[in-house]
Amino acid sequence: MPLHLYIVRRFLFAIPLVIGITLVAFIIANAVPSDPVSANLPEKSQNDPEIVAAFRREWGLDKSLPEQYFTYLGNMLQGNLGRSIKTKRPVIQDIQQFLPATIELATASIITGLILGVGMGIVSAVWRGKLVDYVTRTIALIGVSFPVFVLALLALSIFHAQLGLAAGPGRLDVRITKPAVVTGLLLVDSILAGRADILGNAIAHLVLPSLVLGVYTSGLISRITRSSMLEVLGAEYVRTARSKGLSERVVVMRHAFSNALIPVVTVIGLSFGNLLSGAVLTETIFSWPGIGRYAFQASTSQDFPAIMGISMLIAFIYVGVNFIVDILYFFLDPRIRLA
Amino acid sequence: MLVRLNSRRIMTLLMVLLTTMALSLTAAHAQDEKVLVVGSAEFVDSFDPARSYSPTPMMSLQVTYDTLVTFPADSADKFEPRIAKSWDVSEDTLTYTFHLRDDVKFSDGTPLTADDVVFSINRFKNIKGNPSFLTTTIDSVTATDPTTVVLKLNVTDPAILAKLVAWPFSILNSKVVKEQGGTDAADADKTDKAEGFFSTGSAGSGPYILESYEKESQLVLVRNPNYWGTAPYFDRVIFQNIPEAAAQKVALEAGDIDVALGVTPDQVDAINKTDGLSVYTTGAFTLYYLTMNRQKEFGGPLSDPKVELAVRYALDYDGFRKIAGPGAVTPAAMLPVGMFGAYGTDKAPKRDVEKAKALLAEAGYPDGFETTLDYPTYTQEGLNIETLAQKVVSDLAEVGITIKLVPGDIGTFIEKVRAGTVGFSVLWWQPDYIDPDNYLYFLPGRNGGTRAGWLEADAEPSLLELRDKALAEVNPDERLKLFAQVQDYWQANGPYAPYLQGSIQVGHNNNIQGVFRHPQWLLDVATLSRVE
Repeated sequence: MPLHLYIVRRFLFAIPLVIGITLVAFIIANAVPSDPVSANLPEKSQNDPEIVAAFRREWGLDKSLPEQYFTYLGNMLQGNLGRSIKTKRPVIQDIQQFLPATIELATASIITGLILGVGMGIVSAVWRGKLVDYVTRTIALIGVSFPVFVLALLALSIFHAQLGLAAGPGRLDVRITKPAVVTGLLLVDSILAGRADILGNAIAHLVLPSLVLGVYTSGLISRITRSSMLEVLGAEYVRTARSKGLSERVVVMRHAFSNALIPVVTVIGLSFGNLLSGAVLTETIFSWPGIGRYAFQASTSQDFPAIMGISMLIAFIYVGVNFIVDILYFFLDPRIRLA
Repeated sequence: MLVRLNSRRIMTLLMVLLTTMALSLTAAHAQDEKVLVVGSAEFVDSFDPARSYSPTPMMSLQVTYDTLVTFPADSADKFEPRIAKSWDVSEDTLTYTFHLRDDVKFSDGTPLTADDVVFSINRFKNIKGNPSFLTTTIDSVTATDPTTVVLKLNVTDPAILAKLVAWPFSILNSKVVKEQGGTDAADADKTDKAEGFFSTGSAGSGPYILESYEKESQLVLVRNPNYWGTAPYFDRVIFQNIPEAAAQKVALEAGDIDVALGVTPDQVDAINKTDGLSVYTTGAFTLYYLTMNRQKEFGGPLSDPKVELAVRYALDYDGFRKIAGPGAVTPAAMLPVGMFGAYGTDKAPKRDVEKAKALLAEAGYPDGFETTLDYPTYTQEGLNIETLAQKVVSDLAEVGITIKLVPGDIGTFIEKVRAGTVGFSVLWWQPDYIDPDNYLYFLPGRNGGTRAGWLEADAEPSLLELRDKALAEVNPDERLKLFAQVQDYWQANGPYAPYLQGSIQVGHNNNIQGVFRHPQWLLDVATLSRVE
């Protein structure tokens, strides 16, 4: 199948998925037995029917549920996700503000996770059963099972407060004024503003949170890499490659690793989607103003438009990441091209 | 095509990373201005005084705007002039005439006049925003000349001055707010468009100006060059959002922040032991209490006044104070210690297990009974409500009352409480304004009473008479007497068991002077300074 047909087919699959997600998100958000009135108005105001009625009218809560849903769908198709009850701004605008911080952190984390995870996975597969295998597997196990908030607090407390080696919470030092917002990505904006000092500071602030998230992600990646590598290393063509007298490096990297990549790419895609949908705990501890914090705030204040907006965003991220992963498969595995 | 991980490429990437990190270490931070950094968990609904009801804006509005009257910097027991240099009260207590200072300028240099006061109060009233219940007793406000404002009430309101201290009564620069789409018209709830402006700047006459606000990140205030009063010490104040208490402690230790507002009771010792840091502790007005529903249908055995009293005798008040940490006290009744007219801790209830058992036997439960206790899964000012609920279970078990805990989400819990269908619950109350009037809410016929099934129809006429007198009396000496009677009544009767008044911990660098947690405006950053 040619690439463009493959892409069109994948794209068409995504449409019913997205509509299904809007429906499920809407039902779940409304099924919670809690009223946005009690989450958003102070005690005394809730006793005043006039204030409560004004609140319901303002946020469209006085309409029937199907009516609310179809209004939402209609608006969404025009790129309007409604206005957040909590921030009182268009949800799109909120997402524009909070998403870049998460994109930066997720990208830095996935790079860290990839380097650590793939490296550990290969090493542990090649030296299977040796000490280095046990050590890397233990690290991977700790990475997946250690609570990420504990790791985050430990890292902050040791490397920032005690040793002063790493930068603290936030995206920049408190006293530094942010460069003008162009893309919202601090690294890009500081380059655009020609401020090497801000760029350096922003990178320094990325180190700890991305290491913490990267260690977690690397746990997953290294385990998959290891098992996938082991499978391939036992395959006949690898034995053939060795018998041809190829160097071990060429055998492992070119023959084995590139064929072991499919499951690894899948887990990387999923991990990246997971990181992009906001790591609430890490963002909370590192005071990282990302989409995870926004989602948390929205859900605790029963902010329906924001909850719906984030659900849509996360759905799109997963659909998008899967889409890219599918296309990568196309390149990685010739059999898919023939199917 | 094959994807290749080129080790050289990875090395190059790492080198770039390391170089930029090194760059950051040499980055210059040279700044001569005096900067204060306050770390806190941001909680913002709106920066518009007429619409806001949350802590971060409270602290910001306190120093970016002025109100007519205020409290002293370190207490809330008397009123002091602010924009109004004096005020007169009419014989019938329904008309307040405020005489304004004539030297007050807004941050843009415009003089503040009576028209700005009228605009601000009318706008607040007509917007019908979150705090607008504070305006229900206001009939009209008018300017008779540029420095005189007449406020007419529709009913006697002993708490009106206390309400006027609160942030929603901030005096706005009417010219600026109108330019930003603001209006004080009767339909302001639909036509006022100025809310967005208040998070991008300020239009007040306070010592600071709101320079910028980035949600979930930071709020920056800078000195107001046109301030009419004593200039504050700091040129710039940054409220840095650090949502997690443990991370605030780390940031304080590392010197990223000067003040940490979210310190929890269990962090106090560790911070005090750290060189150069200490914790300021004070009692809060937050009152923790149990509600026992007077309606038999919901309260069961707890609807019996004798059982209510037995519960008050059964609670281990000392133990609750230990949970809450230093600064916590036991209130004498449903009026927190430190509030005008409130009894001190000398009148606090004491535990008496034998008396509690005797009362239970008298009520017909010699072997106790089983019941449920509803509580929200929530943390209030560093106190985990679940811990308090568990303590209630173990205390009451000693007198034979067996409790099954029923946890709930805070929103759902509050709705159940509001419906008045909860039999036994863990609740707390923070005052909306600093006046004991706010606590008469816990009497029959008022909302707090109704929610506890304590209905007007069932109450003794003498209690209702006392309630109405306390609501209407403006003479301070008379009020003291009336509130004493109300507290005596609560100690012997009523469906509440107040058992704890929480404490507040503020961690700070020792070089910061003047840290004080005010019940009305939390932290006044204009009164802080740094020892160089």
